[in-house]
Amino acid sequence: MVSGDDFVTKKFFVFALSIIIVFLFTSCTYSDVAPFESRDYIMGTVVIQRIHHNEAERISGEVNERIAEIEAKMTINKPGGEINLLNDASGEGYVVLGDDTLYVLDKARYFSDVSNGAFDVAVGPLVKAWGIWSENPRVPRESEIDELLKLVNYKDVLIEKDNDRAMLKKSGQVVDVGGIAKGYAADEAIRIYKENGVESAFVSLGGNVAALGGKPDDSPWKIGIRNPKGPQGSYIGIVSIKDGSVVSSGEYERFFEEDGVRYHHILDPKTGYPAKSDLVGVTIVSDLSIDADALSTAVFVLGFEEGMRLMERIDGAEAVFITKDDEVYITDGLKSVFEFKDESKEFEYVEKR
Amino acid sequence: MSSVKKTVLLGLLISQALVLSIIESWIQIPVPVPGVKLGLANIITVVVIVYFGFREALTVVVVRCVLTSFFGGGGWMFFFFSAAGGILSTMIMSILYKTGRNKFSLTGISIAGAITHNIGQLLVAVFFMRDLAVAVYLPVLLVSGCIMGFFVGFVSNLLVNALKKTKMY
Amino acid sequence: MLKKGDFFIILIVIIMIAVSFVGVSIYKGWEDDGHKMALIIQDNKEIKRIDLDAVDESWEFTVRGDYSNTILVERGRIRFKEADCPDKVCVDTGWLYKTGDMAVCLPNRIMIKIEGKPEDVDIVTY
Repeated sequence: MVSGDDFVTKKFFVFALSIIIVFLFTSCTYSDVAPFESRDYIMGTVVIQRIHHNEAERISGEVNERIAEIEAKMTINKPGGEINLLNDASGEGYVVLGDDTLYVLDKARYFSDVSNGAFDVAVGPLVKAWGIWSENPRVPRESEIDELLKLVNYKDVLIEKDNDRAMLKKSGQVVDVGGIAKGYAADEAIRIYKENGVESAFVSLGGNVAALGGKPDDSPWKIGIRNPKGPQGSYIGIVSIKDGSVVSSGEYERFFEEDGVRYHHILDPKTGYPAKSDLVGVTIVSDLSIDADALSTAVFVLGFEEGMRLMERIDGAEAVFITKDDEVYITDGLKSVFEFKDESKEFEYVEKR
Repeated sequence: MSSVKKTVLLGLLISQALVLSIIESWIQIPVPVPGVKLGLANIITVVVIVYFGFREALTVVVVRCVLTSFFGGGGWMFFFFSAAGGILSTMIMSILYKTGRNKFSLTGISIAGAITHNIGQLLVAVFFMRDLAVAVYLPVLLVSGCIMGFFVGFVSNLLVNALKKTKMY
Repeated sequence: MLKKGDFFIILIVIIMIAVSFVGVSIYKGWEDDGHKMALIIQDNKEIKRIDLDAVDESWEFTVRGDYSNTILVERGRIRFKEADCPDKVCVDTGWLYKTGDMAVCLPNRIMIKIEGKPEDVDIVTY
């Protein structure tokens, strides 16, 4: 069938065919190993994880479980857990708490102290009265608020670390760690990543971002700073980080309207009402997400001047301030990694104070 | 050859091309461009080029396209695509055959034909969608065109040799 | 069976394959960490743009032209679910999920294309 001078042509053909086959194979392996990305709904919010690791899926599941566990332990919006135990025993006596709850409580108290009460871990009674995290938020009467304010005092939170226990001095006091639990959960996610040998990953817990390492090519992660006036996903600047956390707080996050007035969710523990701040949004960049979480709330309540002073006092944390006048300021430590990038062109980046 | 004989033979060849088209339509090619097929019908095209010439080959191809499109349920779209590829490859194959009968074997010509057939279809797709995106399938189509071309050439060779013996042509 | 000129043809084909392969790889390589956007293009106009990575629950919609197509959207992927066009090549194409993936319903002049957008941020806080 195949004639004559064939050996040469056959060899050539085999050669040609093999080149073609090689191309086919390389096209298969060329397909990018895309990083694993998961999106789940836990802790009442969207949790996004991006992990570069071949066991990424399993690890992300582990993280999700841990987050659910933290929520169960520390929520005051659902029954069960240790914080509820602590609150129920207010005014009565010490309650033994697990390591993680104690750690979170301690951090919350620390930041309450450092911010002079702008962030107050004992703000629970007010949070409940306003129904912020419930389906039906409401505006409490002034008299109700005045009464509850008496119960809001972080100094009444007594912690005995050596004995693994804590208590609330007065009956009716309520501790709410909701303001930093997400930060804690993000830090836990990073811990789990590290334990599993992950070197490049990030997690976003309802917008709280914590990063491990940089990207696989060693470039930093680019974290967008939420544009407080824009839709979710829009940003006014980019922070490049390797290892660290970026957390934003603002009145845009959660609010309700009653009688034409808008009430946002960040209460001022001293007035009992949503904080009247000259800031629209605050973003904290810090090593630990739990710190960033607490500070973002505190700084928002403090407002620009005092907030800036607080940030200058604290080591290892930086901030981006977005004022009601549409101005963007940053602390000095952020200068080398912050890039102002506002496509809406509504904001102005002010470089010197 | 009398024109009656010619007409009859061409008619036969067209129907054979149709049968091949039907057979190859049973095999799906995972490319989102209609009309992309293995190219078995090209065997007939090659035979027509060898025994008749460009014009006759073109006729066979176009008639085949018309018949498969409108009776096979593809419609105008289908027709444009098959015709584009078919006409282009017929042209190329005829040129190669006429100018280089000694330099190119039927196999080589078939490969060239299959490649240009696919390129022709892809070009029409790109033009039609006004978007280069479909062009990502070019490498795959080229490779399969190569392989199929080789096969078509092989069969064409057999066919031509066998037909020589029958002295029908 | 093979003659001299055939080498020439084959060589050209191999070069064409190599060049187009490289070209396509570059196009696909642009993806890099962006979100997978599915573009729905009808009559050469972009009629819909879907961020596949932001899809929570599957949903579907119908596009009407000379024929009608039902498109099914799930997280990370999209496809033609049903079509009443004559050849149904679009439905047969199956799921699209990588940059460069596409399905076309030519009778209806509809195309779904996955485009990777290189974004300058990996994620945004809120």
